[in-house]
Amino acid sequence: MPEVAVRHLVKKFSSDNKVTTVLNDVSFTVADGEFFTLLGPSGCGKSTTLACVAGLERPDGGSVAVGDAVFADAEAGTFIPPEGRNLGMVFQSYALWPHMTVAGNLALPLKLRQLGKAQQRERIDSALDKVGLVHLRDRYPHQLSGGQQQRVALARALAYSPSVLLLDEPLSNLDAKLREQARAWLKRLQAETGITTIYVTHDQHEALALSDRIAVMSEGNMAQVGTPTEIYEKPAAPEVASFIGRCNFLPGVVQGAPAKGLLAVKLDCNGENVTVQSGLDLPHGAKATVAVRPEKLRILRADDEQPRHPHSVVHGRILRTAYIGARFEHEIAVGDLVLHADSDTPGTTDEVGLLLDPATCLIYPGETALPDEAAELATITS
Amino acid sequence: MTATVTSPPPQRDELKPPRYRTIAGAGRGTWIQYAVLGVVALLVLAPVVPTLYQSFLDRPLYEAGGVFTLDTYVRLFTEANFGQVALNTVLFAGLTTVLAQLIAVPMAVLVVRTRLPLGRLAAGGMQWPFFISSLILGFGWITMYGPAGFVSVWVRDLVGTVPWNLYSIPGMAITEAVALAPIAFVFCSNALRQSDASLESAAQVCGAGPLRILRSVVLPMLRPPIVYSSVLIASMSIETLSVPLLYGQPVGIDVFSTFLYTNGLQAIDPDYGVLGAASVIILLVTVLLVWVQVKLLRNAQRFVSVRGKATRPRQFDLGRLRWAGIAFVAIYLVVGALIPIGGLIFRSFTQVFTPLQSPFDTLSMANYERIFTYPAYIQSIWNSILIALIGAVLVSLLAMFAVVVARRSPFRFGRLVEYLSLAPQAMPGIIVGIGYFWALAYAPASIGGLIQGTIWALVIAFGLRALPGAFGSIAPVVMQLGQELDNAARVSGADWFKTFTRVLGRLLTPALAGSMILVFVTMIKEYSPAVFLAGAESNVIGTTALELWVQGNTGSVAALATLQIAITAVFVGIANRLLKGRSHA
Repeated sequence: MPEVAVRHLVKKFSSDNKVTTVLNDVSFTVADGEFFTLLGPSGCGKSTTLACVAGLERPDGGSVAVGDAVFADAEAGTFIPPEGRNLGMVFQSYALWPHMTVAGNLALPLKLRQLGKAQQRERIDSALDKVGLVHLRDRYPHQLSGGQQQRVALARALAYSPSVLLLDEPLSNLDAKLREQARAWLKRLQAETGITTIYVTHDQHEALALSDRIAVMSEGNMAQVGTPTEIYEKPAAPEVASFIGRCNFLPGVVQGAPAKGLLAVKLDCNGENVTVQSGLDLPHGAKATVAVRPEKLRILRADDEQPRHPHSVVHGRILRTAYIGARFEHEIAVGDLVLHADSDTPGTTDEVGLLLDPATCLIYPGETALPDEAAELATITS
Repeated sequence: MTATVTSPPPQRDELKPPRYRTIAGAGRGTWIQYAVLGVVALLVLAPVVPTLYQSFLDRPLYEAGGVFTLDTYVRLFTEANFGQVALNTVLFAGLTTVLAQLIAVPMAVLVVRTRLPLGRLAAGGMQWPFFISSLILGFGWITMYGPAGFVSVWVRDLVGTVPWNLYSIPGMAITEAVALAPIAFVFCSNALRQSDASLESAAQVCGAGPLRILRSVVLPMLRPPIVYSSVLIASMSIETLSVPLLYGQPVGIDVFSTFLYTNGLQAIDPDYGVLGAASVIILLVTVLLVWVQVKLLRNAQRFVSVRGKATRPRQFDLGRLRWAGIAFVAIYLVVGALIPIGGLIFRSFTQVFTPLQSPFDTLSMANYERIFTYPAYIQSIWNSILIALIGAVLVSLLAMFAVVVARRSPFRFGRLVEYLSLAPQAMPGIIVGIGYFWALAYAPASIGGLIQGTIWALVIAFGLRALPGAFGSIAPVVMQLGQELDNAARVSGADWFKTFTRVLGRLLTPALAGSMILVFVTMIKEYSPAVFLAGAESNVIGTTALELWVQGNTGSVAALATLQIAITAVFVGIANRLLKGRSHA
């Protein structure tokens, strides 16, 4: 099976004489058999990217190729319409044709490929068998539950053995419990068929759980491409860190490098110093932002043993504690910032220390551009 | 990349994607889209371009040696007295619009927002103009309220004089207002149904009584639909031929449409240049009004917040006043529509129709016998049915293609297809008739001669007039079908046309059937383009009725009108029965 290569994709939409650039130089390669996810908030361009791969949108720049076949190349003026690309696609609304039965829905792509009746039947049964719905073959879409419709849509996309499977938020219309089951089931099906898959979602949990690799998109750009671990542990940019999971951002000023691979940063919020592991070469006095995830912060009590170098501690006061079942979530005032920290135990005292491990801390040059609303919530106004 | 990649992929038997032939480098979808554009453009431009051309020529456009001139426009205003005609038209249209709103607005408030006995029946009754053309209404009004009408004579017997004169501009306006009021009613009652009930509750909490709420909260909300429907009614009364022709002709009151009728048909040596110039000016007026409509509608939608949640409109209790309310509604329906139409139907079964002698004494089928003894009259009934049937199928299919090309294709000129399909709204029927008449006269003899004077000329002309309605009835249905249904078919291997035949077209079948009913009813009532286009063999019910009317054969006119109403009712009944049966299956 071939790999998918997307190069320098540009897509502009114009309405009422206004041109908006939806995709701005997007490039990525999906390896043979890989489960590749385009992740990002709504409006980031992930669905448009998928539509360009499917041929439902014609790119204004760049190229799309699967294996040796060039599907679209704006410079060369090549554009193969969707029906010539032999791809499988599942839509957010499932897009089952309401006037056909389940078997009829699966049969249409096969009829278009002029397959014999017997072969059609064989393929329909095998595809429905994969999704466990053979017994519903004569039902109409409106007689099925949401989860069943979603599986029929997947069976329809697989029945003609397309070269690549495209999934556009296929789980977002299911309720929470069903979505988790569907996720596991989808992962298994993809592994069994070994089909190259491009998956679009705004749900980070889905992306982390399903993908071999994730591309995080932001405002029409590729923010980072990497494995789920890389994306979560080493986000390349503050936007990625704040979008995937939760993250605390602490602006400060670099105080030099105490050792190779380490940076000391004086925090703006309360003037304390923290040490961060980093390959960045930031000069003394440069502005920087330390980022740390709530579950990586350890809350220290007065009687806990004091940390050893290079671990550092910032001091604060517990404002609120919420019990959410699996853990406790604390809001801690550090200077004029509010940090979030998780722990297994409820907060007992007001004044606490927060232990920062240099290896789990991230540092970004400059001041983070947190969304205004988030910045407001993270600041104490008193 | 994880372990899933390293394990050998299972055996796969990939299928080749379907192949579609291209013609001259473009897929068949593109060709079909251009074909739809071509057909629609030809239909719309064929009557307009020759009219424009003729208006600048000093002789009929099919005669050789025509010289470009502006003299036609000068003569229009000097010799032809077009200024007086324009003034009459403005008076007639203005008065019609005001009267229609005076009927429709209180009616909408009463029916939708108050607890009225028989309110639902009244709302249903407002749909009567769907079945009855304004020509028939005009016949009915003259039969009852005309100078020698049944009611007029009865009143004269009672009080010694007839206190009204139907053959005047106010008389014309009242009849036309009765015919067009249901349009304003539909717009106002929709606005009232969608309005937010909490606004009124708020007013009530502040201590406002029902009448106060109606006046200060409900009525201001009606401003947008009133303004919009006023423009619509004004443009429709400018282009109407029926009532001005029946009332104005005998007493010499000319408006735009009757001016064209008189100068084009009744003049011994028609001045085609003046006729063309008048058509162009009238066309400019109607195009302007339709443009205003489009602008208004766009603005109106910007200010209406449509909530997904349907709130049931509150209904006020008017107390004793409700009897005044029901009387108002009843007078409109009974005096405006029921008595004239009922009278006309009754007239068709009598020899003499006057209160001076009991009409029951002369009950007979003679009026029908006369129609059915002359093959030409029978022919015109068949023509009407045939034109409406052929037109229903062809126009609905064309409209469906136009909607799909305009809204569901990557076609570069999709918007143009939509504008062209809606453009006939601005084309008065009589101008469509004159325009096609000239187009066929100017066309190469092989085409012109083949169509000229046959029912096909009428199918084309009536069809053009019905196209906007058909487009408007199918477009909303297409918009409700998710785009992803198309996309799924495309990705699965269907090209644009296959997507249409396999998915979109199938899902549009009910809308297509609905459009066919609408077009049939529109076309069986239509006649004004036929005034110029119909030949001896291709008369329709409307033109035959006019002919009989001029001969003073009112009994037979009544019989023809009754037949037309009956045909419409039977067709709609059968069609609805069939549609219902299918949707339950």
